[in-house]
Amino acid sequence: MSRTLPTSAPMPARERLGFAAFILVSVVFALFFLLPIVWSFANSFKPAAEALAHPVALFSKAFSLENYRRLNTVGAGWTVYAGNSVMIALGTVVLTVLVAVPAGYGFSKFRFPGQSALFIVVMATMMIPFQSILTPLFLILKVLKLQNSLFGLVLIYVTFQLPFSIFMMRNAFDAVPRALIEAARIDGASQWTILRRIMLPIALPGVATIAMFAFLNSWNEFLAALIFLSDQNKFTLPIMLVNVSSGIYGIIDWGALQAGVTVTMVPCIILFLLLQRYYVRGLTAGAVK
Amino acid sequence: MARLELRNVVKSYGIYEAVRGIDLEIEDKEFVVFVGPSGCGKSTTLRMIAGLEHITGGDIIIGDQVVNRLGPGKRDIAMVFQNYALYPHMSVRENIAFCLEQQRLPKSEIETRILDAARTLHIEELLDRRPGQLSGGQRQRVAMGRAIVRNPKVFLFDEPLSNLDAKLRVQMRTEIKRLHQVLPTTTVYVTHDQIEAMTMADRVVVMNGGLIEQCGPPQRLYHHPATRFVAGFIGSPAMNFLEARLVDVAGQLVVRLEDGTDLPVPSERAALYASRTGRPVTFGIRPEAVSAAQQRSGYAALTARIDLVEPLGPSTMIYFDVGTTTLCASIDPEAGARAGEDIVLSVNMNQMHLFDAETGVSLTPLP
Repeated sequence: MSRTLPTSAPMPARERLGFAAFILVSVVFALFFLLPIVWSFANSFKPAAEALAHPVALFSKAFSLENYRRLNTVGAGWTVYAGNSVMIALGTVVLTVLVAVPAGYGFSKFRFPGQSALFIVVMATMMIPFQSILTPLFLILKVLKLQNSLFGLVLIYVTFQLPFSIFMMRNAFDAVPRALIEAARIDGASQWTILRRIMLPIALPGVATIAMFAFLNSWNEFLAALIFLSDQNKFTLPIMLVNVSSGIYGIIDWGALQAGVTVTMVPCIILFLLLQRYYVRGLTAGAVK
Repeated sequence: MARLELRNVVKSYGIYEAVRGIDLEIEDKEFVVFVGPSGCGKSTTLRMIAGLEHITGGDIIIGDQVVNRLGPGKRDIAMVFQNYALYPHMSVRENIAFCLEQQRLPKSEIETRILDAARTLHIEELLDRRPGQLSGGQRQRVAMGRAIVRNPKVFLFDEPLSNLDAKLRVQMRTEIKRLHQVLPTTTVYVTHDQIEAMTMADRVVVMNGGLIEQCGPPQRLYHHPATRFVAGFIGSPAMNFLEARLVDVAGQLVVRLEDGTDLPVPSERAALYASRTGRPVTFGIRPEAVSAAQQRSGYAALTARIDLVEPLGPSTMIYFDVGTTTLCASIDPEAGARAGEDIVLSVNMNQMHLFDAETGVSLTPLP
């Protein structure tokens, strides 16, 4: 007589109950975080009349771009501010990656006198509060004639982004076995080829992580942009949001504000979703062998 | 293909000398295995040959060229690493092609060479896979493919089989040896496994404490070890050693063990050691030279109580104490040895080794 064994035993009732509770709590938490995003997104496409309607409805039957059109009348218009923000964020990302990758590679794979001291000095700059050096930075930018310039702002963001980025890239390169570099050296590859064709593709999660941090931080940064930019046409999205929320004569245009919030957060969400698998791998690089 | 020469090569890390001046000539097409315990300097020597470590002193010559100051890529060598060191983001084909691309060879030639190497190593069907999709043995083959595709002057192997399981290790050992027969290239192979050294090498170099302890064909090292260290390192199970004294008993030279047992030295060898009479020596005997057979001429009797029995199939290992030292003997399984029983063993004194008790140098002149 043959007996077939069940492929998987049914879950005991207590475990099933626990699992259901876990799912429920997870869903509640997810809703807790997702709802404000969905709320802003939905409200940005409501006609003005419905924005303050009572009782509130999450979604409107009428789809309208009116809020976005009104947002374009704020200052120089949201498209100009979005353009500035994109320029600054991309500039920060490119410059940060260009400096942090070779610096991290150097700290990770080369030995030179004063290496530890230099690394500590670079890391120590992370401990300086941004607000405490605003005045000297303002003066330096003035001397360099980079005050009220998007490029000047990019330089400041890059400076503040570099310590963390160099640290991340050093960890990312540390996780790459030394034998790979040695194999490439025996294969006749130059340092540049080793970095470009061997190390960088393997350390890509680290690069994605620093790129994302650079993007998010420069995209969302408010204080430096407010202080170092004086020309309305050079403002960034966070400054525009403040202008919208402060309103004219104290009347806040909620619809336009929600449109502004949506415009500001959508690129961040898209970028995070695109890079998240690299991002998690990058953060944990070197944690375990 | 080329000969390789090391002339008084030294490597220091601060005050620590990892390699303390070694001289070695490796002939063209020769397969030389460096063997020794961890920290003996064998891998450092290999890395100096590869150019991955700067040398502190001496010369390394490949072909007719002193390569001390040449980078690894300019030495025309290929190396197989312990952990394979395959580029994980590249396919097998790209891994093998990488070194040829650095030489800026035409694409058609690169493809021809890749296919030739793949055919030699039976990895044609793996060419489009990534290293992560390969088994340990396949990765090892790809690493060898990357080495042979360059047709280098010298092959360097740095413990290439250490990461493989026992069965695969034996299989790959045979393959590497076969590969050397098909593509006879000067080869330096580093291992800590003396069985690999014995089975693969034309010549074995035993290193200890940054120096070459002895260098020669495997059989010579096995039968004529120059020092106690070599005798203990080559051969599995290892040689038994006992502190003893050479004594003249009524005109017969004997080895007197710690527990008072006298083992007569065969008359034909007595003259070699006569000058050492009365002095302490280290007596060495391989487990294979101790048997449960009947006494014959040239054999000495040794009575012992068996502590432990390990049946291996073709032979049985028994462990027993002589004085304070535990010895091992490889005896016929038919002898029916049992733990706790007394046994009379025959020690083949023609295969005994005597070493200076202080320096460990063999008292038998090397052939």
